[in-house]
Amino acid sequence: MLIEFTLNHKPIAVEAPPDITLLDLLRDHLGLTGTKEGCSVGECGACSVIMDGRLINSCLVLAPQAGGSEIITVEGIHAPDGGPNDMQENFITYGAVQCGICIPGMVVAGEALLLHNPNPSRSEIRTALAGNLCRCTGYQQIVDAIEATAKGRQGNR
Amino acid sequence: MPRFDYIRAQTIEQALQLLADPAHVSRPLAGGTDVLVLTRYEKPVFDRVVDISRVAEMKVIERQGDEITIGAGVTFTEAAENPLLQAVAGCLVEASLTVGGPAIRNAGTLGGNTINAAACADGVPPLVCLDAVAHLRSLIGARSLPVSKFIQGANRTGLQSGELLTHFTVPVPPAGTRQAFIKLGRRNAQAISRLSMAAAGHLDAAGRIDYVRLVPGAAMPSPRRIPEVEAFLLGQTPDDALLAAAGQKTAEAMIAVTGRRWSTEYKEVAIQALAERALRRALL
Repeated sequence: MLIEFTLNHKPIAVEAPPDITLLDLLRDHLGLTGTKEGCSVGECGACSVIMDGRLINSCLVLAPQAGGSEIITVEGIHAPDGGPNDMQENFITYGAVQCGICIPGMVVAGEALLLHNPNPSRSEIRTALAGNLCRCTGYQQIVDAIEATAKGRQGNR
Repeated sequence: MPRFDYIRAQTIEQALQLLADPAHVSRPLAGGTDVLVLTRYEKPVFDRVVDISRVAEMKVIERQGDEITIGAGVTFTEAAENPLLQAVAGCLVEASLTVGGPAIRNAGTLGGNTINAAACADGVPPLVCLDAVAHLRSLIGARSLPVSKFIQGANRTGLQSGELLTHFTVPVPPAGTRQAFIKLGRRNAQAISRLSMAAAGHLDAAGRIDYVRLVPGAAMPSPRRIPEVEAFLLGQTPDDALLAAAGQKTAEAMIAVTGRRWSTEYKEVAIQALAERALRRALL
């Protein structure tokens, strides 16, 4: 079936089977492999994307459910010149990236938080990341990176 | 060959038409947090999903007189962020915030939680605690029954073919009622409840309990209030000893239903403490 939606700020129409997940649509039909498949049952957050302004697990959304929605994946998060944005730079600066598989989901979850709460406490950052598992970093550096991004953006307003 | 087809309903009427279509075995799809996990593990027993997640009529939260209507399509995030529910349904708001992580709360709905009817569903004890009534519609008509009756056992409800759970109604509790929801899981995030407890309470001018509700979650096959504990508390002045005794009676009530099993050694003391703590927040 034809699925039409807004993907990373651009309208898109894609022909795909009705029974696949948004995750599979992104990775296998649209070639956007930044969104990762971890558990496939909504436990790990590796497949996090922003759907109509809210963080969701793309493994638990059917592809056709995205029809008419606005979806932001990690590929849609970057600086105007296409390089890493401040959040992504801070992930590097604060040593928040080790093996990397959780990182697209972490960046997306961080951006989803700042959409709703531009000045979160560390506790609010932790809550926002509660559905994103990382087995390398111990989370501290990820929380540091998101906190620094929020502070940086506050400073620039 | 796709395992199932997809169609989106814009209104309740449209959803009912689609669900009644004899050419298909249809499954309503709201947040997808249960249905899609199921299709991952099992061959679907349906050949079409009817997407009800965009049905605006199922998203309402409004007060009319002494009754609150909560649409079945309200997500846990929407419930938790709603000022009306924050004011009069505190245990439901607290419970909503304990479900999964943010992404799960943004998708999962109170209606889906009820229809899935897992014994560990966190949305259900607060609904039963608030005396919520489930409203069902089909092309043939409408009916309503208490959530505690609608859920018949673990993963079992009275939903009939072609029926859709459209909304809940909740009588507004007495002004000044305090509520609590406490959950025991393996960790704070993304945890399935091992046990949970919803409580609500109100004291009269003399400081005696004149309204109390106590509903354990994940403790018994179907969610229910504990009338023997509520009766024990009514008319009493709450203090530590009374609430400790109420905790003890809650554990006895659970064991009377479930019998003693391998997990009882843990659950007996845990449910006692949960009941005592939840009642403390609602009554002291």
